[in-house]
Amino acid sequence: MATREVRRAAVRQAFPDEGLVRELPGGDQQTFVVDRGVLWDLAKHLKEHPDLACDLLLDICGVDWWGKREPRFDVVYHLYSLRHGHRIRLKVPVGEQDLVVPSVYHLWKAADWFEREAFDMFGVRFSGHPNLRRILTHDAFQGHPLRKDYDPGQRWLLREEEQYVPSWAKVAQEDEDHFETQVLNLGPAHPATHGTLRTVVRLDGEVITEAETEIGYLHRCFEKMSERHTWNQVIPYTDRLNYCSPMINGVGYALTVENLLGIQAPPRAQAIRVILSELSRIMDHIVDIGANLTDLGAMTPFLYLYQAREEIYSLLEACAGGRLTVSYVRIGGLANDVPHDFAEAVRYLLKRIPPLIDDMEKLITENRIFRERTEGVGKLTAEEAINWGWTGPCLRACGVPYDVRKAHPYIGYDQYDFKVPIAHTGDTYARYLVRVEEMRQSLRIVEQALANLPDGPIIVADHNVALPPKERVYTEMESLIYHFKLIMEGMKVPPGEYYGYVEGANGELGFYAISDGSGKPYRLKVRPPCFAIFQAFPHMLKGHLVADSVAILGSLNIIAGELDR
Amino acid sequence: MTNDVIVCNPRPLRFWQRLYLVEILKGLGVTLRHFLGNLFARKYTVTVEWPEVKREYSERMRGRHVLLTREDGSPRCVACYMCETACPADCIHIEAEEDPEAPVEWEKKPKVFTIDLLRCVFCGFCVDACPKEAIIMTREHEMAFRTREEAVIGLDQLLYRGPLDQLDMGYRPYYGEPRTQIRLPIPRQPSS
Amino acid sequence: MRKPDGSSAFFTTKLEKLLDKARANSLWPYPFGTACCGIEFMSVMMGHYDLSRFGAEVVRFSPRQSDLLIVAGTITDKIAPVLVRIYEQMPEPKYVISMGACACTGGFYRAYHVVQGIDEFIPVDVYVPGCPPTPEALFAGVLKLQEMIERGETHYQRKVAGMKKAMGA
Repeated sequence: MATREVRRAAVRQAFPDEGLVRELPGGDQQTFVVDRGVLWDLAKHLKEHPDLACDLLLDICGVDWWGKREPRFDVVYHLYSLRHGHRIRLKVPVGEQDLVVPSVYHLWKAADWFEREAFDMFGVRFSGHPNLRRILTHDAFQGHPLRKDYDPGQRWLLREEEQYVPSWAKVAQEDEDHFETQVLNLGPAHPATHGTLRTVVRLDGEVITEAETEIGYLHRCFEKMSERHTWNQVIPYTDRLNYCSPMINGVGYALTVENLLGIQAPPRAQAIRVILSELSRIMDHIVDIGANLTDLGAMTPFLYLYQAREEIYSLLEACAGGRLTVSYVRIGGLANDVPHDFAEAVRYLLKRIPPLIDDMEKLITENRIFRERTEGVGKLTAEEAINWGWTGPCLRACGVPYDVRKAHPYIGYDQYDFKVPIAHTGDTYARYLVRVEEMRQSLRIVEQALANLPDGPIIVADHNVALPPKERVYTEMESLIYHFKLIMEGMKVPPGEYYGYVEGANGELGFYAISDGSGKPYRLKVRPPCFAIFQAFPHMLKGHLVADSVAILGSLNIIAGELDR
Repeated sequence: MTNDVIVCNPRPLRFWQRLYLVEILKGLGVTLRHFLGNLFARKYTVTVEWPEVKREYSERMRGRHVLLTREDGSPRCVACYMCETACPADCIHIEAEEDPEAPVEWEKKPKVFTIDLLRCVFCGFCVDACPKEAIIMTREHEMAFRTREEAVIGLDQLLYRGPLDQLDMGYRPYYGEPRTQIRLPIPRQPSS
Repeated sequence: MRKPDGSSAFFTTKLEKLLDKARANSLWPYPFGTACCGIEFMSVMMGHYDLSRFGAEVVRFSPRQSDLLIVAGTITDKIAPVLVRIYEQMPEPKYVISMGACACTGGFYRAYHVVQGIDEFIPVDVYVPGCPPTPEALFAGVLKLQEMIERGETHYQRKVAGMKKAMGA
């Protein structure tokens, strides 16, 4: 494990000039402010130096300091080293007039879509990027919506003939036998694209020779909306990011803001967060496995597994009041204490879910038809997966045991005994096996967390953060004032930045929050795991049959709400 | 890197698994067990026979809003705009007027109070924000509208003047022990 | 059996009533599920709720084979042309249920990329509130639609009635 000093020395040794690479003091992770002229060299150094070894590019995003600072923009890179487990942040300041930054696509392929997103949202041009065009908004869109001077209500209509068509798809092409190849649109409304994804493929017979993916069909402007709402009001929005496991998003967001505030949720709230997060993870894997199997023609397992999901809904609804969009997490704890029969209900679920998984496994796991459709399909090696920025079950299926819950335990995950499932083949079948085993491990965590569920408060007593109890609001003047200030102005989060991360159902779910001290987030960037995973999809397709694309897509578990935000 | 891993690589197919038939029979066994169990004892049936049977939701269910009233029938709401501010969807619209009958001077009451149920995301933040326990949520959630105008409900539909114990109350500020239980497994047939 | 002036004979109006009854009780939904509501729509189709008990058994993923468009989820400006195209491809008679806050009004996404209600583009028969609506709420919506079809009050039926009247006059 290299320390900050070692990393600083390793950077300083290659870049001695303070004017080009400067380290910021303190902060949640080691941060360097980099002149764009040396960005490429520094990135290469960070990736290749043995003490730095930042092999995973987690996120690239822009920040707009309109009217606050010159140069106006920052491009922020988040890097992670799987070998050492450290994180490094790079900030590249660029002015509005000359908004160009060298692309790091050729170091980490993960930069592909993240750079396109920063271009789309802020207008930052990445020189050397192979395909720099809009990604989340549509082609008729004008302006860059996440700039502070963009009016959030300004819409641009897209006409049907203006929709994007890849340039190669417009040209007819013949294969070597002089048969014309076919261009096929999978999606955006296609039964196998859960949610709204579109993949344009060129088929030679049934073999895919070229593929391109278009996303953004569910771009709901989460990041712009969060800048317009108070820190607490963002919670319902986070539920709708990965809507298969809404609880985990809320926990990730709350942890980020709690860290900015320097507070910690009480132990009881943390244990309940663990239980509900793990149940949500099971729910997510159920939808993924079930939908994947349904696409491959096996409907029955989904019907069996969905029973478990529906009963987890019962529990979530009794705790939070909503089936799917729970809005249960609050900054500093939880909205309400759990009902008195919570433990009984969880114990019932612990008994109920394993037989359903067993039934599903009996039908599927050793079924030769299923295995032949999935083994060796959508195979990716560990190096490629890391290069694409994969995390979560998909990366673990390639043999990399990176799990945030183990590597950087949060809300007390280090107290629980669980294992990280991995597989080495990296194909669709391995991803299925990893997910099934993860469901079983999640049940183990729930069992342990329930056995040690502590008593006590469920939200911090600091009334600058959490609403005071209602009975005191009705009777005491002081509490009423706190209540009024929190509702009308929002909580005051001290200025600063923090990158918070949790293990979402699909991988590392990061929230990069910047506060300027007002009641609203200045910038909130989500690092969606799907986004990194899905950008490899068109490259994985080449050489596969068109029917395999459905199997691969299902096994990647792409949730459009999280992908497009 | 952690050592706490469990390797779940694919196992090689055994001879009888390669034969298709054994595995298919095993799979059929699972479905047949469910089928026969359902046929004779409805052992695995989970379907809630709506609308004859209603799945009971908890007392925290976030459904349609109501505005509570005082004993004399006037609204508890003092038009303080807290719920309107707290609402992330901006679906609440309030216009205040002075309350001539109020015991305290400057006391306000709502002249107009509308909620656009089609905008509302049922997050319950308005209930959390209310300092007077005037707005609460019921468990009524089976709604459907024919026009968008119909879904914007005003004071006449929001105010509830009847006795509280007859109101199907859902998400609301504080209460003792919840009366409802987490009903698992989900009841699927009439309890009678 | 239409008279040359466009009005229907007594027999055919009775027949149409019968047809409407049949149509109401055998809806073929096309789920245009884009977001969270799509997940709740799954719940509606699965064992615990099972929409097929109301005659909407066959979920079709081809607009050509369906007559009920259930828009479940946020519609953005990027996907709006696709939605319109799918609506236009559906054979008549066709009905639309807008499920959830986002499809009905845009919900709490008052933003630069979100359609503020699908009725900007296509006519909607039933709006179901909720974010997402519970399965029961969608059932209520489907039952309401069935009632409307039997009474001839849907957008499509009113359009046809209006056309007939215009031709008759």
